[in-house]
Formats: sequence, C-alpha cells, structure tokens
Amino acid sequence: MRKSLSLSVFLAALGLVLLAFGADAGPLDSPGASKALVCSACHGFGGNSPGNTVPILAGMSPAYFKKAIRDYAEGKRPSPEMEPYSKYVLQSGLDEIAAYFAEQKKLPARPKPDPNAVRRGMAIAAQCTVCHNPRGEGDPERGFPDLRGQPAGFLEAQTALLKEDKRKLQDATLDELKKKLLKRLSDRNIADVAAYYSSLK
Amino acid sequence: MNNITRRAFLRASGIGMAILGTGGLSSFAAETKGRRVVVIGGGWGGATAAKYIRLADSSIEVTLLEPNKEFISCPFSNLVLSGVESIKRLTIGYDGLTKHGVKIRHEAATAIEPDKRRVRVGNDYLEYDRLIVSPGIDFQWDQVEGLDKAKDAVLHAWKAGPQTVKLAQQLHSMKDGGVFVMTVPLAAFRCPPGPYERACQVAWYLKTKKPRSKLIVLDANKDIVSKTGLFKASFKDYPNLEYRPSNKVEKIDAGAREVTTELGDKVKYDVINLIPPQRAAAIAVEADLVGADKRWCEVDHVTYESVKQKNIHVVGDSTIGLPVPKSGNVANAMGKICATAVVHLLNDKEAPVIAPGNTCYSWVNDKEAIAVVNSYKIENRKVVQIEQKLTPGKSVAVAQNSLAWRTSIWNDILA
Repeated sequence: MRKSLSLSVFLAALGLVLLAFGADAGPLDSPGASKALVCSACHGFGGNSPGNTVPILAGMSPAYFKKAIRDYAEGKRPSPEMEPYSKYVLQSGLDEIAAYFAEQKKLPARPKPDPNAVRRGMAIAAQCTVCHNPRGEGDPERGFPDLRGQPAGFLEAQTALLKEDKRKLQDATLDELKKKLLKRLSDRNIADVAAYYSSLK
Repeated sequence: MNNITRRAFLRASGIGMAILGTGGLSSFAAETKGRRVVVIGGGWGGATAAKYIRLADSSIEVTLLEPNKEFISCPFSNLVLSGVESIKRLTIGYDGLTKHGVKIRHEAATAIEPDKRRVRVGNDYLEYDRLIVSPGIDFQWDQVEGLDKAKDAVLHAWKAGPQTVKLAQQLHSMKDGGVFVMTVPLAAFRCPPGPYERACQVAWYLKTKKPRSKLIVLDANKDIVSKTGLFKASFKDYPNLEYRPSNKVEKIDAGAREVTTELGDKVKYDVINLIPPQRAAAIAVEADLVGADKRWCEVDHVTYESVKQKNIHVVGDSTIGLPVPKSGNVANAMGKICATAVVHLLNDKEAPVIAPGNTCYSWVNDKEAIAVVNSYKIENRKVVQIEQKLTPGKSVAVAQNSLAWRTSIWNDILA
C-alpha cells in the first residue's frame, strides 16, 4: 500500500514535471533557442561547432558573448560572416541568445590537435597567462576569453588577426602589451599555442 | 523524452490528471489530435525540417519522401569538375535522420491532394496534418530549342550527382585546345553565384591542365548575378575565360555541337554545360502551389505556409517573394524556421517570428574562396534584409571557413 501510494505520488509529480516541459516545450522551445536557430548552420547544434575555424558558443559566458557580438557589430573585430549576423543578434534579442548558449553543455572541439604541436604550444603559452590565466580560462566577465577547448583553427585565426593588429583590444595599454607579445611569435608558434589551448578542457 | 510513454502514462494516471487541472487538460487535448507531418524532398530544406520537427516534439510522426538513397551536396559540387573535390566527400547517408525517428521512404511523391490532406506515393496514400514541400527545382527544357531532344547528352550538372561526375569526365577528356561552353539562364535560378564559381573552377582546371583550351560563358543576364565585383576580379586570373553577358542561348544543335544566342551568334563547342531556365519542381506546380508566374511558390514569411493552399508549407529553392537567394544555407534556415512553426501550429500555438540567414562561399581556384553574408529581420511579418557583407577579396582563410561551414551545416541537416 505504501509502495503504491509513493508510486502514485511519484507518477503525479512526474506528470507535473512533464507538463511543465509539455509536448510543445522540446529543447527548442525557449525564445533564445528559436532566435539562435540560424546560428547552428555554422556554430553547430546548441553552439557546439564541429568545424575547425568556427568557435564553440556552448557554455560561453553571457558577458563575453555579448561583448563579442557588440565588437563584431561595431567592426572592432573584423569578420565578413559575423558583422551581418551580429546585427541580427542585436536586433532579435542579445540577452536571450546569450543565455541560450550559456545554458548549453560544451563538448570538446571535434578537430583533434596534433600532440606534438600541443607539446610545443605548452611552452609558448607561459606568455599568455598574464591575461588568460594559468589554465587558459581567462576572465570572461572582464573581457578576457576562455580559450580552453576552442577549435585550434579558430584560435589560430584570431591570434593572427591580433598580431596583424586587425583586431584591437579595448584597453590601449593591453593592446600595446598584446602587440609586443605577439610580435615575438612566428606563424608556427601561433599554430602550436592554438593547438595547446584547444587541447585543454 | 518519449512522448508516447508520456501519453500512455497520463491516460493511466488518474491522480496525475486530477492535479493537472485545466491547463493540463488543454495540453492533453492538444496531444491527442492528428500529429502527422509529411515532408516531400530530403535536400537542404526538407531534411532539415524533418529533423527539427522531431527535435522539437518527438510525439509528431514525420515521414520524409526522398527518392535518392543518399544526400549529395550541391554546394562544393563545382569543385568536382576541377578535381579539387570528390563527389564521394559530398555524399552523406540518411541514417542520422532515422536516429531522430524520421520515417524515410525512398520514393517520390507523385501527387498532392490538398482537399483530402494526403500525398500519393505510387499506389499508396500518406495522410498528413501538415505537409512540408521542399522539392527543389525542375528545368524548363522547352525554353531552349532542341534541348528536350538532346537533354541526355547535354548536361546541366545543376543537381549534384551523376551529371556532375559525367561533366567532370567530359571536361577531363576534352582535347587541349578545345572549347568548353557554359550557359547561364536569366535569374531567378538555383544558387545565384553557382555559375560563376563553376566558371572559375573550369577555367582554373583548363589553365592548369589544358593551357591551350578556352572557356566561353554565355550569360543571359546583363552582368554577373552575385558577388559581381569579386568574381570580376577573379576572372582576371583567367585569360582563358571569355565572359559574354547578355548572351541568352535560345537553341542547341547537339549534332553540330553548336548553340545559338538570342542575337543570332552561333558558338561552337567541344564540351557544353547548358544550365537551363528553372522553376519549382513539377509536384509543386501540379499541386497549384505556384503563383501567377507558374514558376515559383509564394509563402508566408513567418510560417512558410503556402499562400495558396492551407496546411501546406513550402521551403527552399522553389519559393519566391522573400528577399533571399536560392541557396542551401537559406533552405536550411527555412527548414528550421518552418519546422518550429509547424510544431507550434500543431500544438495550437502561435508560431514564433524568426528570420533566416545566408552565408555563401564560392571557391575561385583550388584553395581560395570569396563569400557573401546576409542577415535578415522580420518587419510586419515580412523578411527584410538587415545587411549584406562581402569578403574584401579572395583568401585561403575564407576557403577554410567554408570547410568549417560545410561540416557544421551538413551536420545541422542530417546528423
């Protein structure tokens, strides 16, 4: 008797939970999910980009996501792809889309970096810790991105843009520091350090 | 989450029902009515729509009708002509959709009966509550004199597959010093930059492998239809490419290996690639989904429901009236938005207002690409462009981005 009562209570509770997420409330039924539908063409389902040069948005700090979108829209970060789409995000709901991606579980980058490149990159990465912290986790709330587990091709392309001064940092002092640090790195160094951060979890 | 289990459980659980109250009852009622969706066409629009309906609501039964056993990507198929890419790498199975619970029948829909809400498949009928039509394009053979008779020998290669491979073979076996003629129909046609990317790929191949050969592009349009400046810059790399705008081909004589333009010019060829004028595929025309032009289907910009037939939605290249190109990326976006709308409508809810997007890459040689990107918004229930952006020029980086794009979007459609 006790067993069947607790089963009934359990079933009733389960019913409530199920209805709360009703038939029409699948994984796509939130304003952010609907608005982020177009993003998955390049950034993968739930923001887990499977490609080498497109960043993973799943689990990204909303503060950093919003900063990136604003930077793209203002042309501070050059990207023919993201300049138009950033304006789409701003016009359709920056907060909701940022929240949607933040809620998604981040998966490891699909392209696996070369272990030798990772090993070489680890030695170079010591110079990056000033801003990106010892494990590459950065400080997204303050505008320093979390580099861990991003696809190596994306990290490499962004570092090249920073080195060529086509992507500037918000703070003039930091921008000078970035220029000084990156000037010392060859293209090979940049590819290696990108592989290293891509390999981190 | 398995909705059939949930439904069975809710029926069995009296206590559950008592606690649920009126809100619960309405949800319950919504669940018991018809929830069958049929999708015609497993390309960029249809396959995406089928998958996303199942993702959003697995209690909806989705049947996809697609005669081809495998999906072959039209984007990147121009690179098969130049040998930069293989058709095999553009070919993907439909197993991913089966895993989402999409029922796939590798058969063609033969007719739509809107009044009876059913689709004829051979001698069988499939009933639907909502139908999504994503049939792609058919060719208007009668628009070019002599083409209907010659269409087995004169290739379009405008639907990636056997024709792509055959045209590549014809190009590769052409003698050095030969003339390859390509014709471009008047817009609108599938993939506006496609003919010009193809011209670059053929010209690159000839320049590299058959340097005494020539490519003549006979374009019915006054100018390059898409990425105009970027393609013009790329054409300069190919002295073997002769681009002739406002040269509409009206006649082909396959025996004499000769085409005739509207102006009366006769152009001899060794290999021809004639891209015929196009319209929405026959099934859409026969179901009276096309507008006054008898070519393309007009739809609501939010739900993609046909303006002519209730409960029938149309996505992909066969649509018209939205300020978007007939591209794979747009078809994918339409598929997702339409799927979301259909799920909401089947649950008696208003469809959310979502705009599509377009990211479109073209390879201009064996390693560099250009791109155009369009973002859109919805204003007064109509799609309106926010911005169009072109790459500053061709680059290896853009080509690399196109590879990331294809990995991602093929997954979005089929995985």
